[in-house]
Amino acid sequence: MNALPDRYHAADELVLRSPDDGRSLAQRLNKRYAARITGAFVVPAQDGSYAPLPADLPPALAQALRSRGVDQLYSHQAEAWAATQAGAHVAVATPTASGKSLCYTLPVISAAMQQHAKALYLFPTKALAQDQVAELLELNQAGELGVKAFTFDGDTPGDARQAIRLHGDIVVSNPDMLHQAILPHHTKWAQFFENLRYVVIDEVHTYRGVFGSHVANVIRRLKRVCAFYGVTPQFILCSATIGNPQQHAEALIEDAVTAIVESGAPAGEKHVLLWNPPVINPDLGLRASARSQTNRIARLAIKSGLKTLVFAQSRSMVEVLTKYLKDVFDHDPRKPPRIRAYRGGYLPKERRAAERDMRAGSVDGIVSTSALELGVDIGSLDVVVLNGYPGSVAATWQRFGRAGRRQQSALGVLVASSDPLDQYLVRHPEFFQGATPEHARIQPDQPLILLDHIRCAAFELPFVGDEMFGTEIVTPWLDVLGEEGVLHREGDRWEWIADSYPAIAVSLRSVADGNFVVVDRTNGRQTIIAEVDYSAAPVTLYEGAIHMIQSVPYQVERLDWEGRKAYVTRTQVDYYTDAIDYTKLKVLDCFDSAGAGRGQAHHGEVHVVRRVPGYKKIRFYTHENIGYGPVNLPDQELHTTAVWWQLSQAVLASAFDDRQQALDGFLGAAYALHIVATVAVMAEARDLQKSVGSGDGAWFVSADLSGRGQLRGSDGQPMALAPDAPFTPTVYLYDAFPGGIGQSEPLFHRREDLITQSITLIERCDCHAGCPACVGPILAADENVDLAVHTAKSLALRVLALLVAL
Amino acid sequence: MSALSAKLRQLRADAGHTPPQGPAHPERSEAKSKGHATPSPVPRIDGMPSLWPAGKPKAAAPSSLSPDLRRLLQRHAQLKRGPAYLASSDRDVPGIELSPGLRYTEAHVDWLAPPAIIDAGFARMEPVHHHRLLHFDTETTGLAGGTGTRAFMIGAADWHDGRFRIRQLTITSMAAETAMLRTFASWLADDTVLVSYNGKCYDSPLLKTRYRLARLPDPLTGLGHLDLLHPVRRHWKGQWENCRLATAERELLGVVREDDLPGSEAPAAWLTYLRGGSARNLRRVLAHNNQDLKSLAGVLLYMARLPHR
Repeated sequence: MNALPDRYHAADELVLRSPDDGRSLAQRLNKRYAARITGAFVVPAQDGSYAPLPADLPPALAQALRSRGVDQLYSHQAEAWAATQAGAHVAVATPTASGKSLCYTLPVISAAMQQHAKALYLFPTKALAQDQVAELLELNQAGELGVKAFTFDGDTPGDARQAIRLHGDIVVSNPDMLHQAILPHHTKWAQFFENLRYVVIDEVHTYRGVFGSHVANVIRRLKRVCAFYGVTPQFILCSATIGNPQQHAEALIEDAVTAIVESGAPAGEKHVLLWNPPVINPDLGLRASARSQTNRIARLAIKSGLKTLVFAQSRSMVEVLTKYLKDVFDHDPRKPPRIRAYRGGYLPKERRAAERDMRAGSVDGIVSTSALELGVDIGSLDVVVLNGYPGSVAATWQRFGRAGRRQQSALGVLVASSDPLDQYLVRHPEFFQGATPEHARIQPDQPLILLDHIRCAAFELPFVGDEMFGTEIVTPWLDVLGEEGVLHREGDRWEWIADSYPAIAVSLRSVADGNFVVVDRTNGRQTIIAEVDYSAAPVTLYEGAIHMIQSVPYQVERLDWEGRKAYVTRTQVDYYTDAIDYTKLKVLDCFDSAGAGRGQAHHGEVHVVRRVPGYKKIRFYTHENIGYGPVNLPDQELHTTAVWWQLSQAVLASAFDDRQQALDGFLGAAYALHIVATVAVMAEARDLQKSVGSGDGAWFVSADLSGRGQLRGSDGQPMALAPDAPFTPTVYLYDAFPGGIGQSEPLFHRREDLITQSITLIERCDCHAGCPACVGPILAADENVDLAVHTAKSLALRVLALLVAL
Repeated sequence: MSALSAKLRQLRADAGHTPPQGPAHPERSEAKSKGHATPSPVPRIDGMPSLWPAGKPKAAAPSSLSPDLRRLLQRHAQLKRGPAYLASSDRDVPGIELSPGLRYTEAHVDWLAPPAIIDAGFARMEPVHHHRLLHFDTETTGLAGGTGTRAFMIGAADWHDGRFRIRQLTITSMAAETAMLRTFASWLADDTVLVSYNGKCYDSPLLKTRYRLARLPDPLTGLGHLDLLHPVRRHWKGQWENCRLATAERELLGVVREDDLPGSEAPAAWLTYLRGGSARNLRRVLAHNNQDLKSLAGVLLYMARLPHR
């Protein structure tokens, strides 16, 4: 595949003769590659909206700002100042590079200078924390403000910690450190807490799903400890573009916030192109690689004198693309490099140097992982190229947001990979143009997460009486912990009694502690390279599985189920594996129901039993099924929440010739719904699962090796349904975490949307009979047989049509 | 079992939760080493009914069990860790009750003869009159550290009218902690010099945390503190198998303890009593603490007599 010639390497006439801007390049690309561009749109320029430096800023701080070239504020910065001075919690959600950090720097520094008030900053990554401290120190030096800011993270040496606790005005840390090191030792931080005035939480859009639900509970614990020290700090939260910044911020801190969403920062016009690599083998439906296209676009942009940033999905892809670009631009070792790579795994010093060079403008091309997606300051750029869809519309915009200058127009190009989700998105440009960015959702009261944090909270301070923890009365939970033997009740007080440190056992990134670690044994190594949730282990870590980590394939050689370890080695294969998944669902409780076309949609609690009897090997790009292997693992049980759709027997009988057709249709519909729903709730594909079965758990359907629906009984064995047996096939989308993490309810609310979008997805797919980008892989043989109306696609469409709102 | 409890158990089983094999000890090393054997992570509780019939090897790890049986075993393991105890009629904790739940013992023993001025140069401190010394040692609910660990016993000893006075405070209820902390604070004067074994890193910060949580002023900060662990390490590290207090007292003082309750079992001893079980092991903790205090004084005097470099 890699040997295919690059048929598109000419086109140097596209190089702009004189340095220009993103618009000219967009126009030229549009003209030359119209067939590859599936969507092109323009975000109009915006003028800046300014406000004078507030009169009530401490003079020294105002002077420091002026000396750093800040003579006035953007309107949103001034609004944030006013809101914080009025005592409100504030959520700032403005685009990348709009100067969000000044929104919290001003109130925090002036409070530190005037009242010796302290502030806690939380960033999701250490690198961002260090950036922030560097910025604070520069401002502090500029004005000799005397404000001391320190990072406090896992790298902070022990002897420095005491000084930071006592003397830090601003402590910059992350949620994991707050959870495991600060709160359980809050007495050592007593002075800090007693004077804590502001809690700043940046990049709150990253705190969603499981991680966000944990972080919301850590915030509950923080507030509880603050109350012990008699303080109620003000929260300042910042977010990148998401659909619900205010709601999300309020969910995280469980208090009303003033939302500031109108950016006053000027922005040049921005052009966006969605780019699908050309089909180079029509028989196999094979497209050119995203990598070659990305490389080509970046080359053109850099040659045209435009500062360009390329986002790749993995560290190794960063290296590959960097090499390609360096081969063109950095062949003279005597000159300073024009191309730089930026990714995690580099030493902080190297990264700082790269950031400096970028800000100074001496670098023309940067290739980065998501490490640059968050607020690392690298100055202004003209062009951003995404090598593959980053997984959410919000993240896409955030990356595009890296390109943008005040006067000139910028260009963002999304180059689709062969991944079904990528293909779906580039074929639906309206999704980008029209759709509001995804909503970030959390479920802080998810039972297992809640229990973990009540346990940690009880360690930090005893619970007394009918105390509340978040929105829950805590007493029944304390009873559970009493039964467990970690709490002792005396009168109305619950005291921690166990010899353990509960926060160590609670990872903010997972639901419970049954996680598997993935151990790389390549060349005698013994390195842990990943962690996989218990619920995902059976479908991703079975022996023989190809486990992709940052798109590097590893093969699972041995799975130690009891020890929760998977041993893998690096491998070079041209296929990936897909678990055959027999899932049986039984509805336990129906929370809500609604009509859906000629059928019904429901939302409720389900019991899931999942068995993985084997796996398929599927060749990359062609998606041919090239073999299968057996898997021998215990059944998995899960109590969770789901949304499901049903059609009655009578409706099905009138729409399908036979039951097999209906089953095939349901399987295809489930596949398409799963793709669409994953996008809709900003989920990871594996956190949301699909299944087709009867409404009562009597049987379920799995795709057999030919892609056809096979009915199986509750024992997992193939079965046939008696002609007079009831037949109500049901398609389920369920939350893959025990107890659910709140994904199914929003899906229920968007049920009509999901059905219509699934129909569009299938209708627009280029394939003939069905493919992994719409209704799931089908046998190559079936693709060529003209089954007229009975293709997997047409059957799935028929099911979905019956569910469309009347 | 409550409905919530049952539901949580179910969800945790779904999530692959295995009952923890023991609490996490992030920083356990020689930190709290006062003659302790390697601490057993799970507090063992006396008289607990065993899940396994006598003689059956407990180590038969369930490796190929059906999920149902596995879950059942997990349940049992969880229950086993729960508040299982046998109510006992042996509830006698020595001493007088100073206030509800706070027991106090006092003993005056003939134990060595200190010089008036003790040369603390071995610890790089000024000479100190023996009247100012307060040897102290706590017994705690564990070694995990953080705000969840508490002292249930504070022993303190000083030279009083030429004899060694050993005073011990033990709480028999959680609520008595504040009274214990107050009483201990009343034993400290501005010029008190504390004597401890690893107290700078362990007992003292732990008590400071407890004072803070009880909203009491911290009486320890600012006092002189002679922590013997570090000088002992400087002298004998590499010569002895380790530098625990038990080793030091054996090597330097010839002390051999009989029927000593390992310090690691102290948490379980108190917990058993707190939950209505026997006081037998709690009394052994008192004896253990008592010996620790005597050894502290002995090691201090031994080191004070060592020739300086």
